[in-house]
Amino acid sequence: MTIGVTHFLVVGAVMFCCGLYTMSTKRNAIGILIGVELVLNSSALNLVAFDRYMGAGRLDGQIMALFIIVLAAAEAALAVGICINVYRNLATVDVDKATQLRG
Amino acid sequence: MGEHTYEILLAAAVASPLVSFWLLVFFGPRLGKPKAGWVGVLLGMGVPLIMGTIVMIGWWFFEDEASRAALTEHAFRWKWANLGAVAVDIGVKLDSLTVAMFFMVTFIAFWIFVFSVGYMKGHSDEVSGQCKYWRFFAYLSLFGFAMLGLVLSSNLLFLFIFWELVGLCSYLLIGFYFDKAFASKAAMKAFITNRVGDFGFLIGLMLVYFHLGTLDLDQAATRFAEQYASGTGIFASGFTMFGWSLATIMGVGLFCGAMGKSAQFPLHVWLPDAMAGPTPVSALIHAATMVAAGVYLVARVYRLMTPDALMFISTIGCLTLTLMALIAMVQVDIKKCLAYSTLSQLGYMIFGMGCGAWVAALFHLVTHAFFKAMLFLGSGQVIEGCHHEQDMRKMGGLRHKMPFTCWTFFVGVLAISGAGIPAMHIGLGGYFSKDEILAVAYTRSYVWGEGDFSKHEAHEGEHHSSTSTVHDVPVQLAAYQEHGEPEHADHGGAHESVDAHSSAPLALIFEHTKPLPKWMFWLAIITAYITPFYMMRCWWLTFMGKPRDEHVHEHAHETPMMFIPLVVLAIGTVFASYYLFRPLMADAAGAATAAPMVMAIDGDVHTPAITSAHSWLVYGVGFAFVAGFALAYLIYRDGLAVGDRIKQRLWPLHTLLVNKYYIDELYELVWVKGCVLLAKTAGFFDKWVVDLIFNLAAAITERLASFSGMIVDKHGVDGVVNGIAQTSMDVAGVASSAQTGRIRNYVLVTAAVAAVVLICLVWFGTNSGYSGARSFSALSP
Repeated sequence: MTIGVTHFLVVGAVMFCCGLYTMSTKRNAIGILIGVELVLNSSALNLVAFDRYMGAGRLDGQIMALFIIVLAAAEAALAVGICINVYRNLATVDVDKATQLRG
Repeated sequence: MGEHTYEILLAAAVASPLVSFWLLVFFGPRLGKPKAGWVGVLLGMGVPLIMGTIVMIGWWFFEDEASRAALTEHAFRWKWANLGAVAVDIGVKLDSLTVAMFFMVTFIAFWIFVFSVGYMKGHSDEVSGQCKYWRFFAYLSLFGFAMLGLVLSSNLLFLFIFWELVGLCSYLLIGFYFDKAFASKAAMKAFITNRVGDFGFLIGLMLVYFHLGTLDLDQAATRFAEQYASGTGIFASGFTMFGWSLATIMGVGLFCGAMGKSAQFPLHVWLPDAMAGPTPVSALIHAATMVAAGVYLVARVYRLMTPDALMFISTIGCLTLTLMALIAMVQVDIKKCLAYSTLSQLGYMIFGMGCGAWVAALFHLVTHAFFKAMLFLGSGQVIEGCHHEQDMRKMGGLRHKMPFTCWTFFVGVLAISGAGIPAMHIGLGGYFSKDEILAVAYTRSYVWGEGDFSKHEAHEGEHHSSTSTVHDVPVQLAAYQEHGEPEHADHGGAHESVDAHSSAPLALIFEHTKPLPKWMFWLAIITAYITPFYMMRCWWLTFMGKPRDEHVHEHAHETPMMFIPLVVLAIGTVFASYYLFRPLMADAAGAATAAPMVMAIDGDVHTPAITSAHSWLVYGVGFAFVAGFALAYLIYRDGLAVGDRIKQRLWPLHTLLVNKYYIDELYELVWVKGCVLLAKTAGFFDKWVVDLIFNLAAAITERLASFSGMIVDKHGVDGVVNGIAQTSMDVAGVASSAQTGRIRNYVLVTAAVAAVVLICLVWFGTNSGYSGARSFSALSP
């Protein structure tokens, strides 16, 4: 059995679903952040896989993946900063408590 | 003299009191007590007296009959304004009557002003503790201005304006002690009663304006005569009221003004109350001058009179002179007694006017002004001397304390009683003037009805040229009666001619003019006997007999400032009246009585030529004063005892007279209560009908307002605005409910939406050949 693009996509989908699940079930802000990382990485995996099998010598997907990694790093730094501020203000990182902007 | 010299002098005389008035108004308080009075005396009346005297002397001694007539005709006129088509002139009515009245008013007023300086010293500080001395003289000056202007007016409109001004002054001066209720009430009563008369005056004035088309006295008379001759204008109107034609109503209307001012019978009620004013005011305004203005007015509009109007005038005059003389008999207040005597004498004047005794009435006006002013000043002296005591029952025996007052008063009593030696030319004021009125009344009531005058006139015409209309009718008529044929008496220069330029024949006048009812003549005769009685009673009770009140008697005194005017007026009464004023009146009569429908009659009773005509009358009236004096002496020589016994015997009559026939009560009941009733009825109507309508309208408006406010505005307009806002709120609420604040929800929704989008893409891509889907299919191995 040859490893094809489908396998990569399945792994990416599983990772995406895990990330999504983590995001929607975790109440801890850091946990949600981890879920976000999983979703980002699954999409990065998809890009790399498509580039490998359908790019025909082009590096578009690879570069996009690099972008995503940088973006994730920046996002993580930002999100952790938000988390710290949330903790400072509310003395918790439980996102269910941070509902001051609800309609 | 130059052109209009007389007018300039007279105008200056009118202006001077006005200047004095303003001076006193602005500087009166600063001038202080005696000075303000002297400004009033010198500027207010001194200057006019000098002017009046100059004019009088110039007019009477330096002009002859022709030049006087020319001066009258060319008297000053200046067009002041146009009322529609009617021009109103400021002008001077310059004739002997004006000159005589002017001199009389200024002369009497001057001495009353002088008297006031003394009298008001003790009488002017009573008003709320403030010094009103200057104010008194300001009012007097204003009165002088108004009265002189009234005499001078050539125009009915200006006459009316000054007429109202003297009325105002009268009001102000009656109410001079306005902090006393009776004074202010008397002032109001005088003013309101005068308004009633002035209403009639205005009606007459309007009729003159509309039908004669002019307000000038001379022009109106000319047009009246023209309209009478041609039967046009006011004579073309078929309007009648109480059986009077429109022309009569005009005359009666003008006379109504005179009734108010001269206090004739139904409107007489104000004059006795007017004695609430200071005594000089009673003397000047309410005895000598203003009240005589009514007679003056009738004299001035004599040419607009009709026989019916004159009959009305004589009826009113006759009632007044009788009724008021009766009241005067029972008065105990010295001023009230004089007031009723004034009313009675004014009645004589008006009666005389009504009879046609134009000269006699005006002559009586002048003589009366002299002696009545003097009598009032005398009473003022008495009141002042007796510490404000006015009750004659408490006086008596004052002759030793007040000799000047006593004897000048006696001269006045003689004059008003008509004392003289009958059939000779010796007598005092009333002896000439009142007897003359009575002689004319006699002619009108007895001679008039009997002879056939049209025949008489025709008969006369044969002997004379047709231009000679009858002069001195009664004398001739009387002579005709006596001797059976017309005879020409030596007229002694003073005569009226009936109508100088109107073409109405004398016969027509006789035909229209009814003889005077005999009862009128007899009432006037009886009153001629009553007058000396009540005057003698007044004098005797005050000055003669024994003192009845020690307190009053002890304090009695007189002051030179006050008795000098008395003496001057007494001298005036004795000398000036007959020889000066009657010729002046007679001189004015020719033109002033040239009426188309009525005639003025000369009745000079005591001149030798005429004596025979009225022989019984001459002695019958001539000795009336003796009878009256004797009766008064018999009753009052021993004090009040006899009088009281008579009073008890005749108590119903006495009660009626003391209560003045209950006329005041009747007026109170009819007019005052009637007014109140009318006001209450109007109030009731207002409350229940007018208010109902208004409240209904208000209620409807309120309902409408609440409908538009609550329903339309609140639920309609506000509803739309609030509805939009509410809807926005609701929508926002619904929309914001999606913002739960739970990240899980956002994530799920995002994922779900993404899934839906993906499914849609795949679905539509498959069906519409989306290239991406094809790529996918291409990917599949």
